[in-house]
Amino acid sequence: MAVESTGEASSLSQSRRLFAVLSDHRVLVSLVALALLPWLLPSKALAVNVLIYGVVVMGYNLLFGYTGLLSFGHAAFFGTGAYLTGIAIGRWGLPWFAAVPLAIAAGTALAVLIGAISTRTRGIYFSMVTLALAQLVYYVALQASSFTGGENGLRGFTVDRIDLLGLQINFLDPVNKYYVLMAFAALALWVQSRILNSPFGAVIEAIRENEQRARACGYDVERCKLIVFMLSGAISAIGGCMSALHLSIVPLDSLHYQTSGMIVMMVLLGGARSFFGPFIGAATFLILEDVVSLWTPHWQIVVGAIFVVFVLFLPKGIWGTLLDVLPFARERR
Amino acid sequence: MPVYETKSRPAGLSRRKAMMAMSAGVAALAMPRLGRAADDTIRIGFPTPLTGPFAAEARDQVKCAELAVKLVNDKGGIGGRKVELLVRDDKLNAGEAATRTLELIEKDKVHAVVGALSSAVQLAVNEVTRARGVIYVSISQSDTINEVKDFSKFTFHEALNPHMTTAAVARQTLKKGMKVAHLVADYAYGHEMLRGFKRAQASIGAESVGEILHPFGAADYSTFMPRLMSMRPDVLCISNFGRDQANAIKQAVDFGIKQQMKIVVPVILHNQRLAVGADVFEGVVGGANYYWGLETQNKTAAEFNKAFRTANGGAIPTDYGAYGYSGVGSLLQAMQVAGGTDTEKVVAALEGLQYDLTKGPQHYRKCDHQSVQSVLVLESKKKSAMANENDLFAIVANDPGADEMLRSCSELGHAT
Repeated sequence: MAVESTGEASSLSQSRRLFAVLSDHRVLVSLVALALLPWLLPSKALAVNVLIYGVVVMGYNLLFGYTGLLSFGHAAFFGTGAYLTGIAIGRWGLPWFAAVPLAIAAGTALAVLIGAISTRTRGIYFSMVTLALAQLVYYVALQASSFTGGENGLRGFTVDRIDLLGLQINFLDPVNKYYVLMAFAALALWVQSRILNSPFGAVIEAIRENEQRARACGYDVERCKLIVFMLSGAISAIGGCMSALHLSIVPLDSLHYQTSGMIVMMVLLGGARSFFGPFIGAATFLILEDVVSLWTPHWQIVVGAIFVVFVLFLPKGIWGTLLDVLPFARERR
Repeated sequence: MPVYETKSRPAGLSRRKAMMAMSAGVAALAMPRLGRAADDTIRIGFPTPLTGPFAAEARDQVKCAELAVKLVNDKGGIGGRKVELLVRDDKLNAGEAATRTLELIEKDKVHAVVGALSSAVQLAVNEVTRARGVIYVSISQSDTINEVKDFSKFTFHEALNPHMTTAAVARQTLKKGMKVAHLVADYAYGHEMLRGFKRAQASIGAESVGEILHPFGAADYSTFMPRLMSMRPDVLCISNFGRDQANAIKQAVDFGIKQQMKIVVPVILHNQRLAVGADVFEGVVGGANYYWGLETQNKTAAEFNKAFRTANGGAIPTDYGAYGYSGVGSLLQAMQVAGGTDTEKVVAALEGLQYDLTKGPQHYRKCDHQSVQSVLVLESKKKSAMANENDLFAIVANDPGADEMLRSCSELGHAT
């Protein structure tokens, strides 16, 4: 028995080491997990949605989970990314590889603008200001219907083929579409990981833990908040671009506050402050919605009840709790 | 489980258990993929908003669509192939509808899609289906889907469109020199109805005295009513849908608007009239694609009602329900003609089809695939005049279908 317990201990330390290696290559590991996703989920369209919302929520997590700022307006960046992609392809006739950077730039610019106004406030006021400004964007899109399609949504920019280095990819094929869009997700994951590993990443966590102390240490808290807001908006805009390419429409609802609310729900389900949590949250939410709504029209009750259970008993979300419970993952994140 | 394990190990989940749990999870997720085998069933996708403010109308659509499928299957299907209807909740959300339609096409391999109950949602579904060359029969009102920008040869529109509906209603209710005020839901449906009414007013010579937009899904209309009354119109047109219609009319009546002016709606809804009651709706006039009371003057309507009653325990079909029946029914007839599901052949068959499923002859116009059909104008009966609880409306007019009721092909941008 004694022998067995030392064996157990060494296997535990081995798995600790393995876990440490895995978390050092978290972008790669995340991508491997995401590459398997379409073969695990009931449909490819659902897998693409998990990928898209995973990226959006990951961007949001940078602001909410790592910096501790609860924004209720992230639909604005998601929607702007989507709308600009659609408008650039459909109205300006740009190819997709020009439209996407343009859309991300637009989302980032909007994030700078909204961030400059909202990061002056804190707590509940910050949430309200982001919500109000995002609704402003929503109504602009609703009113400028000759440009955005208004209530009917933006249509007429279907990308059915992607030419890449002499390679022609049929973009209507769900599997091709997933892996092309995964390249965008890879970019977002790498950027996110890079930010978190940088000294700046440590500063934003310091701001979350104790803003006054961070200030006393000599960090420009206001500047850092604005930068993180901008980066968060940019990553969410990448998700918007992916959504436009995936659905080939941009619904007006993508700018609605319910989308912002859904993003908050997903991050809480998956686990704020964890690297892969956003994808787990998006997957959980979308799978629940997809599967439960197939067998009852009252799916909202089921999803709502599960959400309440999570908030009450698993405040760290699925991924956060799992990392706490697994013995080899403790002390690491 | 041996007791010593709990002593020699830190509390919590072992790796082995975690692995087991994870593989069980993966297996559970993969399960539905295994049970599906290829077969020759004809599958029709049917996205519709089973949740949300239009749920009552959506449920009727599903019942009628299922009836259309059942009747075909009872007669042996299409060329011996059974037909299956795959109903999906689009949650009245365009993005959700597009995702569901993608799933229906990519995973369920449907042969055609019928459905949707909102202008934005049907345009989203149409965008997905036309890019993939899948036939889509829309059963919700829209003018936009007829226009050349959203049209494709795979796009068919079985529902009435706001242009036809408002013109028919205006012909019965407006006269030269009348003053008209509008209360309009602020989204595509409302805007298109308003445009239709104004166009009809211009040709009749009735004058607009004002229009008020209300937010979609509003519960409180009390602030609008005094403003509408101060415009002193002869007719108030309320252009909204579903629960909004019931709420708006109810509050208008509470304000005594009916003593001052006539209330007219583009589409008078069976379910909303039932929900609110006879006293409130009394005298309200509106258009409809179908009303069960048509059975006294139309043989097809009598047959449709009978089939629906038999399948649904004596209940009667409603207006939006009938769209579900004729949308799926016309598609299945075209598949019969085409002898299968070959898209090109079915499109050709739909274009040449003369069908009579619920209320008289219909056909899809060649240039924009809009269904040319009759438009009913109904007036809500007062309680004492109702013969039974389903005797809701009197049929004021039944305008037979004609190409002249539609906007011309050239106006819509189609080559003529």
